[in-house]
Amino acid sequence: MELIVNGTKRELDAVNIADVVERLGLAGRPVVAEVEGEVLYSEQWESAEVKPGMKIELVHFVGGG
Amino acid sequence: MSEHRGSSGDVWSIGGQEMQSRFFLGTGLFPNPFVQNEAIAASGAEVLTFAIRRVDLEAAEDDSILQHLEPGAFRFLPNTSGSRTAEEAVRIARLARASGLSDWIKVEISADGRTLLPDPLETLRATEILVKEGFTVLPYTSDDPVICRRLAEAGAAAVMPGGAPIGTGLGILNPYNIGLIVEESAVPVIVDAGLGTASDAALAMELGAAAILMNTPVAKAQDPVGMARAMRLAIEGGRLAYLSGRMSKKRYASASSGFESLIVE
Repeated sequence: MELIVNGTKRELDAVNIADVVERLGLAGRPVVAEVEGEVLYSEQWESAEVKPGMKIELVHFVGGG
Repeated sequence: MSEHRGSSGDVWSIGGQEMQSRFFLGTGLFPNPFVQNEAIAASGAEVLTFAIRRVDLEAAEDDSILQHLEPGAFRFLPNTSGSRTAEEAVRIARLARASGLSDWIKVEISADGRTLLPDPLETLRATEILVKEGFTVLPYTSDDPVICRRLAEAGAAAVMPGGAPIGTGLGILNPYNIGLIVEESAVPVIVDAGLGTASDAALAMELGAAAILMNTPVAKAQDPVGMARAMRLAIEGGRLAYLSGRMSKKRYASASSGFESLIVE
């Protein structure tokens, strides 16, 4: 289904957020998810079902001061 | 010989976390992860700062900065850089905490891109919200004694006035204000941003700052590892000078040997 991940439309075969993270090759990495403006802890990813057009942000720590 | 208070016995704390190092080091702009790790080691820093950004979905390999750091060796201080309002800063702070890596947050809300000066009103608002949500909040703010007092009253665990705009290396433009902030502050004062070289760090500590936060002066030095060590020594020297109490300044000369028993008549 079509999802908006980090501001870009993507076609992903996913039922929940854990699938999205997996399909994008980010499983096991220190990534944080925000879905429709709400932070989702990794324990919630399996139960968080995705719907077409959902806005998902996947962020992480980068160098900064 | 008894230990100087400025050396290893000089412990301080934020939010219950005891620390010996008074050097918070940023992790941006280093030439590569190897140099960065060497610089971190040379700095003696126990607290490292980070920013929060979107994962690059096009990059095949793991580009996480954390993969290069020994797990559990440091306290992480993520920042809210890139935010322009309290709401944006709160959003970034919540994402940072959801990492499970830290509930400390450096509130950094820039008013404009040219100066990156902190917006004190939005910073105060974000601090109020985040304190209520249980974060340990360290706001980066202007070198203004009144706003620093207001931030401490709002529950900030430390206040972090800038010496000069971020990344300028101009040093402490208003030492009088930094001194006043330290004198009045109920929470630790961390001079954050704008420093350029070791004497700037020493001056901040001589003025009574509890610690220094810096990134660019180390990362952009020709030898970042050497500069990290220079900053560490300057911070320790400045701290010890502060604790030891400097002499008062005099307008005219004062001989160190006196004028009794001179051989010249």
